[in-house]
Amino acid sequence: MLRPDGIRALLERVTDEPIIANLGSATFDLYHAQQRDANFYTWGAMGMVSSIGLGVALAAPEKKVYVIDGDGSLLMNLGSLSTIARQNPKNLVHIVMDNQQWAETGGQPTHTSTGTDLAEIARGSGIARVVRVSSLEDFEDALDSAIREEGPWCIVADIEEQGHGARPPVSVEENLLRLRRTFTG
Amino acid sequence: MARLVSRWHNAAAMHWTDAIVESLKSHDVWLIPYVPDAIGWQVLSKLEQDPAFHTVPVAREEEAIAVAAGAYAAGKRAAVFVQSSGFGNTINSLAQLAVSHKIPVPVFVGMRGGLGEFNPVQIPSAHPIPGFLDAMNIQHFAPINETDVTSYVDGALELSFASRMPVAVLLYSQLVGAKRATS
Repeated sequence: MLRPDGIRALLERVTDEPIIANLGSATFDLYHAQQRDANFYTWGAMGMVSSIGLGVALAAPEKKVYVIDGDGSLLMNLGSLSTIARQNPKNLVHIVMDNQQWAETGGQPTHTSTGTDLAEIARGSGIARVVRVSSLEDFEDALDSAIREEGPWCIVADIEEQGHGARPPVSVEENLLRLRRTFTG
Repeated sequence: MARLVSRWHNAAAMHWTDAIVESLKSHDVWLIPYVPDAIGWQVLSKLEQDPAFHTVPVAREEEAIAVAAGAYAAGKRAAVFVQSSGFGNTINSLAQLAVSHKIPVPVFVGMRGGLGEFNPVQIPSAHPIPGFLDAMNIQHFAPINETDVTSYVDGALELSFASRMPVAVLLYSQLVGAKRATS
């Protein structure tokens, strides 16, 4: 499975639901797949996308909220899984694109390359619905379940890293306000 | 000519914790991500019992800023409570989310390491906080007298949401009392 294919599969299934994208490849691939006001592209604050998504999910319980995280980033903020489990937001879908590397800094192997299983950590943290997939078909099935059924969900997808699109020209401040206007009008 | 009016001039002195609760309410703050500490808990214990607020205990301070940022992105207001010992853990999300994106996150910091401190390791983490905030261009305010709490906190919240910038309210032992060593 490739990250851009997974992101396209997600985009085919949403209308105006927010998607919070991790810094680097997830942000770049999401931008190039489809620009939408409900996309939030992060450029830093590494590790924080699941926490941002939790804040959005608690504030907007009527909408599904999607997070596209990475393995290196989630390893920086494992406590977030426990915080999400404790808050138990039914509408949060936390997707982890696990390429087993810090791709933005040269492809150094992360701890998931040596046996750390983020899905097991999510389960052990108390996340209600956790699945680990490695094919696009299984990822799409997991997404359909997550759309149909209450969460919180954590979908860990094993992906092959094949690089990402060019750095998109986004104003971070404007991006935030556009996302906010999808809620406030 | 515009008249300058002090809205807080005649404010009756409430207990400092009640003054913070009332100010948060009057500014429609709803979400309260926090890492507990003995100072902040004096306020947080009231917020947890009040249906106007949704409190979110987090595992680490940088999460709290990010959860607050997410709530703001979805059209709601949040304020964060942390202790000075963990304030350093906020820097990742304070700099690369709140300041860079202009997200208003009021941060209440329970300040250890000052008058009456018994724990020497609290001092070097608390003492640099005002300087750090200055370097980050984040305004900070420290009410010392109980009669000042409403004006400082109400003003800090208004400033934060109007400027769309984080603002810090530092809660020192002169206001909140010093934690006692127990043995």
